[in-house]
Amino acid sequence: MSSPLFERTVTALLQERVICEVSDDELYNYLLLPANQDSVNRFLGQINRTLRQTSAHDAFVCAYLDTSDADTKDAIRHQFRDVANNLEAFVQFLRLVMMLEANDRPVLPGDKLSEGAILDRIAAAPALESKLRSLAEKKVFHTKRSDSAGQIRAVLSSLEKMGYLKPIGTSGSLYRATGRWSWLYDAMTFIQTHEGIQGSDETDSEQMRLH
Amino acid sequence: MARAQDAHGTLRALAKYGEAILEAHLKNGNRIPDSDDNLGLIETLEHHRLVWRIGESEDLQLKKVLVQFLDHITESERRRYASAQVHILWQQLSELFQEYKEAKKRSALSDIDRLEGEIKECLADVIEDIRNATEAFATYINTGFAYITDLNLRIRENERVIERAGRLITLFESFRIPELAEQAGSDAFLKRLLLRHLPATLESSQKNLSYALNQLRKMLVRMREDQRLSRMVGAFEAHFINHRGFEPSIDHLDLRHVPDFLNTVAPFRIRGFGDIYDSSDDLELIELAAKARTVPVETEGKPVPDDVDTVSFDVAGETETEEDDPVEEAIEELIQLVVDGALGEGTILASEALASTGLGIDKADWLQAIVSEVESLPDGDQRCIEVIYHQMAHRTYPDNLMVSDLTLRHNNAG
Repeated sequence: MSSPLFERTVTALLQERVICEVSDDELYNYLLLPANQDSVNRFLGQINRTLRQTSAHDAFVCAYLDTSDADTKDAIRHQFRDVANNLEAFVQFLRLVMMLEANDRPVLPGDKLSEGAILDRIAAAPALESKLRSLAEKKVFHTKRSDSAGQIRAVLSSLEKMGYLKPIGTSGSLYRATGRWSWLYDAMTFIQTHEGIQGSDETDSEQMRLH
Repeated sequence: MARAQDAHGTLRALAKYGEAILEAHLKNGNRIPDSDDNLGLIETLEHHRLVWRIGESEDLQLKKVLVQFLDHITESERRRYASAQVHILWQQLSELFQEYKEAKKRSALSDIDRLEGEIKECLADVIEDIRNATEAFATYINTGFAYITDLNLRIRENERVIERAGRLITLFESFRIPELAEQAGSDAFLKRLLLRHLPATLESSQKNLSYALNQLRKMLVRMREDQRLSRMVGAFEAHFINHRGFEPSIDHLDLRHVPDFLNTVAPFRIRGFGDIYDSSDDLELIELAAKARTVPVETEGKPVPDDVDTVSFDVAGETETEEDDPVEEAIEELIQLVVDGALGEGTILASEALASTGLGIDKADWLQAIVSEVESLPDGDQRCIEVIYHQMAHRTYPDNLMVSDLTLRHNNAG
């Protein structure tokens, strides 16, 4: 007897989706039950895959069990390359949001992002406008629009397409951050360790506040 | 007089903006955001010298005198130091019981009366302060220290509050209620306070405090994680600035030590065939097949290749509307004109008629189409039209006649 939720969950996982409370609350709630995790894992195990949670425990992803196969390695490399290629743009985006919100907290799953609020704050701080412009020039967020509103829209809709944001309501200007950010932070932590990138200290935070 | 008027004005202003001022005090760390919504409030408070700020771009801060007053009326101060207060009161209570014991030993009745009254009052204060002390922690949880913007300071404040909660728990554990109860003597009210109200308050407060402590610790973990992520983002930003064009190199990784949650799978679609071998699926499949027949709009008009994905079948009762053919319409119009006798005795040359329509059709096809149309007319109509062929014999094959044009005219004999 097939179960619709099981099928939807497994299909979503195999489609490289990051399942979290924001992106797929039904599937996420399904996976929160240990019995369901077991049944999903039993199925995935037979095709060299397994269910994993991000280190913040707020999202589920599907991972390879055995990575020794060349094709598997290629697939993983491909995904890392996606992150590596766009990392600078993501870091700039995160920094911009932290400056806009005037706190030291990066975007986290569940956070609300409003196009209008971002625009208001950018309009009040010309220094941030240039940061937005530079962001809109990055390949992943690229847009020909020269106005702030168009650039913000382009950035947010790119993030939506990549699964980092989910629109709320029908206005198309309000978003909620998904668990994919947690996965990105895990990937960044991994890259930071392996590339030996030094952690910023107190002075960095100080600099950021003074911007 | 003027001074009294000013004071009245200040009090009225406080009453008018009471809600916003209280919110600033309780939820916003005594800050009033410099926004258009708060324009009236800011102007009034500035007028009455109740706010200050360093720079024009900074938020306004309530003045110390006002904050102290707000502390007093909201009992914030008392709550903040309630744990210390409980400790002092408990010591007082122990001393009172000691005196009470002495007075009873000496049967000093008036002292016993006085001390019983004092003990009751002190005990009621202890109970109230225990409640206040624990409620203060609930406020911290609700606000999430949001009034402190700097993450480091927020973490420090959280740590301080956790420490305070820990001290309070230790203090509660140090209470020896049964020992005091034994000394309560025969006073029923005192006994009720010591054996019922105090333990009940203590129990619920301990429960609330444990919950608060747990939440505060979770909050601290979250804040420290936020701090770690913030520093990591900062580190990457600095790295990108200092190493232009830096791109993390991952090709050299042997991927043996990739954390499990990072080696996410490449997407693949799970697909299967419709089960045409199981008759129980027939109805559903028939319905799906019927819907699959729809030809997408964009493929219309394109030549269909030999190996098509889907084949369209005729469906009973289905009607297809054909688009009107402009050539056919023009010919019908032309012939109708002649048949109706609208030309009178006049004639019309087919090639001239073609030129007047503006159609891009080949002349030979046009002539052929006119002849076919005339031939398909009912006999009556056919007799009303006379077609004169402009023709000449082929040079090589004289039996073949070459038609260069047609002249049409109404045939009165028809």
